[in-house]
Amino acid sequence: MSERLNVKDLITVGIFSVIIIVLIFIFGMLGYIPILMIALPILAALICGIPFMLFLTRVNKFGMVTLMGLILGIVMFLSGHTWVPILVFTLCAFIADCILKMGDYSSVKNSIVAHGVFILGVMGNMLPFFIMRDFYLNGLRSSMGADYVNVISPFINTPVLIVLIILTFIVGMASAYVGKIVLKKHFEKAGIA
Amino acid sequence: MGLGLNFTLDPKTKIIILAILSFMVFNDVSLYISGILVLIPFICLFFSNHKKSAIIYIIAYIAAKYVQIYILPTATGLLAIILITFSYTASRMLPIIMMGYYTITTTKVSEFIASMEKSNIPKDIIIPVSVVFRYIPSVFEEIKLITNAMKMRGFGLNIKSLKNPLKLIEFYMIPILISAVKTADELSAASLTRGLSNPEKRTHLLEVKFTRMDYVLLALTIIGFGIYAFNFLRGVAIA
Amino acid sequence: MRDVSFSYDKDKNLDNINVDIREGEVILLCGESGCGKTTITRFLNGLIPNFFDGKRQGNVYLNDELISEMPIYEISKNVGSVFQNPKTQFFNVDTTSEVVFGCENLSMPIDDIQNRLDNVVDDFQISHLLDKSIFKLSGGEKQKIACASVSAVHPDILILDEPSSNLDSRSSWDFENIIRKWKSQGKTVVIAEHKLFFLSDVVDRVLFLNNGRITDEWSIEEFRQINHREFGLRQLNLENLTCKRKEYYSDSPEFMELKNFRFHYGKRQVLDIDDVKIPKNEVIAIIGKNGAGKSTFANCLCGLKRSCKGQLIWDNDALKRNDRLKKTYMVMQDVNHQLFTESVLDEVLLSMDDENFELAEEILTNLNLIHLKDAHPMALSGGEKQRVAIASAIASEKEILIFDEPTSGLDLKNMMKVSENLIYLQKLGITSFIITHDYELIMEACSHVLHMDDGRIVDSYKINEEKLKKFFLNSN
Repeated sequence: MSERLNVKDLITVGIFSVIIIVLIFIFGMLGYIPILMIALPILAALICGIPFMLFLTRVNKFGMVTLMGLILGIVMFLSGHTWVPILVFTLCAFIADCILKMGDYSSVKNSIVAHGVFILGVMGNMLPFFIMRDFYLNGLRSSMGADYVNVISPFINTPVLIVLIILTFIVGMASAYVGKIVLKKHFEKAGIA
Repeated sequence: MGLGLNFTLDPKTKIIILAILSFMVFNDVSLYISGILVLIPFICLFFSNHKKSAIIYIIAYIAAKYVQIYILPTATGLLAIILITFSYTASRMLPIIMMGYYTITTTKVSEFIASMEKSNIPKDIIIPVSVVFRYIPSVFEEIKLITNAMKMRGFGLNIKSLKNPLKLIEFYMIPILISAVKTADELSAASLTRGLSNPEKRTHLLEVKFTRMDYVLLALTIIGFGIYAFNFLRGVAIA
Repeated sequence: MRDVSFSYDKDKNLDNINVDIREGEVILLCGESGCGKTTITRFLNGLIPNFFDGKRQGNVYLNDELISEMPIYEISKNVGSVFQNPKTQFFNVDTTSEVVFGCENLSMPIDDIQNRLDNVVDDFQISHLLDKSIFKLSGGEKQKIACASVSAVHPDILILDEPSSNLDSRSSWDFENIIRKWKSQGKTVVIAEHKLFFLSDVVDRVLFLNNGRITDEWSIEEFRQINHREFGLRQLNLENLTCKRKEYYSDSPEFMELKNFRFHYGKRQVLDIDDVKIPKNEVIAIIGKNGAGKSTFANCLCGLKRSCKGQLIWDNDALKRNDRLKKTYMVMQDVNHQLFTESVLDEVLLSMDDENFELAEEILTNLNLIHLKDAHPMALSGGEKQRVAIASAIASEKEILIFDEPTSGLDLKNMMKVSENLIYLQKLGITSFIITHDYELIMEACSHVLHMDDGRIVDSYKINEEKLKKFFLNSN
């Protein structure tokens, strides 16, 4: 269990990172519609469940999930999403890894929770926008008046961030559950899970 | 033109610049303070055969700034919200996004890996990152093939498929994932027979070296960042 | 190898193998799919036990050293491997990095690597392939790079596992030259293959495997004399083949007509067909070198390329892109991309506008798939997957089927099955196009040939042995 990661593990991490990156980017395109941009983590949580659960069938050592978070963060950084995702994604993945370890990498329940936590890493892409919030609101205040800002500010505020986190977490778990079903339906029957 | 041909930066330089530019997202300042930083992606793109993107970038940026400074104070209603979203996102994110674009389009994967290895980054990170770059184009190739296959069975952008978007996702996901698992196995086997698991440090044929250009741009970035940071700190002090 | 037995799972895969391979020999391993060829190669390059695990007995020695005791990166200094699928054996994105990849892994000094690179580029004549993206290379070019790459490490032994299954006949002959080169350098080569024709003059000794045992061993002279079909092997000498279907299937064939099929990638014109008449309800081979435009032609014919404005005249109707999409179906080279559902039966039902169980089961029965109707398509063998794809095409009432390399990497038995399927489709009134490099398959099943070169159809003829031989056998 405490073995070092071997070449096969590293390549597996790389391959599955690609799947998740491609999914996030394709659905991230939808994010250019402003409102959906905020919902990107939820979308990501919705679709990444299947590949993540398949990835977990190949994981039995501590570090693989953490490493995947780091790799995803690095790719986000290189594609111009600042270095915030590196920190956030690695942290989330690390926690997910710990949760998995507690379930000995075989507990379904732990896997589902782990995906919920892992996918929160996508929030790293959003965080800069929330940090920008004040300036956004200031700009609005000067042009639209304080009343207007008071009306809309609750929607782009810390509580929203928290709601978003909770929603992403729940959707992440739900999609991991679906992922498990798909795994049974397809991959176990096909003999590769 | 002559300059454009020799303009190559060490991947390390690109990454450092990208990291420093990332700070800009946290703060919005006047152009005279962030000016140098804003110009860096432009310089990089302009002198490396991406003249068109460079010019589009700088026009978009100036437009965003212009909107922010001159039009916003007078705009009202829905228009204002759209303009604010556009201008604030553009003025903060654009330089970073363009620098990222520059980094990805102008760095050869082998260069990037050689540079990482030279910086003593552990294999545990280098191997998956190389695989990522190697495999992304394959996934897009596969998506294209699957799309073709679906078209031939009457799935495409039509009612039959839109009725059930989840099915559509499943149809894409299954073949892609199955080939991912297969690729992971075969690629691992092939790499093993070629000595990838050798614990000694790898050598690399490709040399990446800092040139004068790297130092100039790094210096520029640091000066730009200095002004920026100084201003930021002063702002904090005043507040 | 001494008394080697091996099993991955329950079934025994290798049973008591004893072989001595001498230095400088070129050995061919042959036999039906699943006979254990690949397993033997895995023992030799150390993937067993370093990567694949299972129950092992017996020992494999390399110069008196036990291979199973060596770390795999040590083995890789002496043993180089080339695999079947060029898509999944490249680690790098550009060719130069790929060629020196092995050397870099083994921490050779940079000057040394540069020397080896220069030598290998010279040996294989691949200077025009350097510094390119591997995604821009053809299958044959990829395989050349793979060979150059293992060669650069200067191993004494080369292990090739079905290296030619994605190659056209010309690239196969090129491959023969590569093996010859290795042989002249005194290297030992072990090659597991189905396609044999290009190996006739370079192999020294042949081992025939059946169910995990070596049942026959021949020198190459003896091997040339045996009846390959009796052993379930592909032809060694293609000259011996005669075509089986010299006449058209229908006595007075009707014709379809293709008009104005043109396609550009950027400024480069890759397809340029003015007007060509093709008999209906025949099995039509599309031949031509890699990059001649065969796949583009197939895509355009299926209506997959939006910018191709050509028309297909069929029963006096001029079919545009969307009409052709409904009438045609392509069985892709990698069938995995076109099977979506969770069972074979669902796969067929998916193709029907109204689900009709009886009809679906009838189709499956005719294609000998009925016993698999509840199995997951991805769990099937390559040949079975192909039949599922055919079944779904029949179910959606397609009239034109296009096969992209249906027999690459198949042994004789499976190739024959493909040919049976083609004849069955013909009885249903379906016209089949087959993009192929497989001379044996053409001889077996086709009655008309389209020869493409440089985006044009340079010849369209009723099957003709002389013309085909000229194309397939004189490519070197």
